[in-house]
Amino acid sequence: MALLSALDRQHTIAPPGYSRWLIPPAALAVHLCIGQAYATSVYKTSLISHFGASQTAIGVIFSIAIVMLGLSAAVGGTWVERSGPRKAMFVSACFWAAGFLVGALGIATKQLWLVYLGYGVIGGIGLGIGYISPVSTLIKWFPDRPGLATGMAIMGFGGGAMVASPLSRQLLSFYDPNYDPAVSSSVASGSALVSLFVTLGVGYFLIMMFGVFNVRVPQEGWKPEGWDPASVAAKPLVTTASVSAANAIKTPTFWFLWVVLFCNVTAGIGILEQASPMIQDFFRENGTSTVTVAAAAGFVGLLSLFNMGGRFLWSTTSDIIGRKPIYMLYLGLGMVLYATLAAVGNAATALFVLLAGVILSFYGGGFATIPAYLRDIFGTYQVGAIHGRLLTAWSAAGVAGPLIINGFLDAQGKPGTLTADAYRPALFTMVGVLAIGFIANLLVRAVPEKYHEPVKPADPVLAGAGAEGSKDV
Amino acid sequence: MSEGTSKPAGQGIRLIVSWVLVAALLGYGVIQTVITAAKLFTH
Repeated sequence: MALLSALDRQHTIAPPGYSRWLIPPAALAVHLCIGQAYATSVYKTSLISHFGASQTAIGVIFSIAIVMLGLSAAVGGTWVERSGPRKAMFVSACFWAAGFLVGALGIATKQLWLVYLGYGVIGGIGLGIGYISPVSTLIKWFPDRPGLATGMAIMGFGGGAMVASPLSRQLLSFYDPNYDPAVSSSVASGSALVSLFVTLGVGYFLIMMFGVFNVRVPQEGWKPEGWDPASVAAKPLVTTASVSAANAIKTPTFWFLWVVLFCNVTAGIGILEQASPMIQDFFRENGTSTVTVAAAAGFVGLLSLFNMGGRFLWSTTSDIIGRKPIYMLYLGLGMVLYATLAAVGNAATALFVLLAGVILSFYGGGFATIPAYLRDIFGTYQVGAIHGRLLTAWSAAGVAGPLIINGFLDAQGKPGTLTADAYRPALFTMVGVLAIGFIANLLVRAVPEKYHEPVKPADPVLAGAGAEGSKDV
Repeated sequence: MSEGTSKPAGQGIRLIVSWVLVAALLGYGVIQTVITAAKLFTH
């Protein structure tokens, strides 16, 4: 019980002089681990072979995890806010590690339902709680640069897949000498998969404990040296008021932001989902693609770098130019880039790669900037819980994006025979999706005063800046 | 209350260890991905 008590928010308050620069690595320790969720394709073929199951049956494991991410973030957001980041990170680590261990048991006993339960359900809860656990704390430590702070953490989620993919391949080769990751048809043995899951579960738990150990919440009234809280109120569409999660979802602005995130993620997934076959299809002449399978894999890797880089670069930039303008860039310029990709993307490989890369950087940027946008609109009071509720847009986009792209492509012909023309209807549809998001972003307004929490005079941010709330553009 | 008051003991080392850990993890991922991405230009 003493251990659980030590995890409580009141026992996590930073002592005087505690460096806020310890918080981003604590957040990264969690996000780098849970980002593994996007590296499940590495062992997908081996799982199919081991269970003798279909692509869909194995793909469902990832789908369950992402759905559970959205649900647990939405349902558990208020608990995370109340319990504090340390307890939330600890719970996340327990669920994430337990998910791998139960999954390993399922692989060892050849019971696929245990993998669904383990990695999908239990691990998925760890994903959702872990994703939102450091966000509110980072924003409170970096009131002067919330975009930079959340950009760093959420960059870790993108980076997590980049760590897990090669690491999983190397571990599988280590546990099964007959497995050759360079050969696409090579599959690892069941025992190697079990060892991989156990290793990842234990390893990730230890790394996440590092975050648990270091994370702290700032003392009431803490502010960075030299930072004037009144400067917050001077920026357009930035509130100094507090809005609860329960009230936030009653406002049209919350739902406009939901649509913004949904549209941005749906459009990005359109490319991510099809990246490898897409570049080969765009440069197919007389039935043969000029882009090799290895080069296509390189393209996927490059997109990962753009995705991760965009999370940090664009989110940090949003601190300077503002949240609404940066989403106008993601969605507005995104429309132009998507249309260009559809119209002339097959003119040159370099042009195709550049356009797709920038689009993916906007996709990552959209994820990383949204917590700071929520802070601006709803204040820091329950921003983690509000963020959790907004992440249901991610789950919905995870279904809608692939449905749109695959629906159009299925109607165009068989995989391996498609050309750039086959992608045009889907890509122009994505332009329309981005246009909807662009309009929703334009409709984002300051939250009416009736939704604000009563002002606490002791809070220097509120006291210093006044309680009149935010100013719209 | 703000930054700049007396710092907790061992904070400097904790900062270095924290950032080295995440930099090593991220660095490993980035280097491995760059190696993969290079295939786009060499194949």
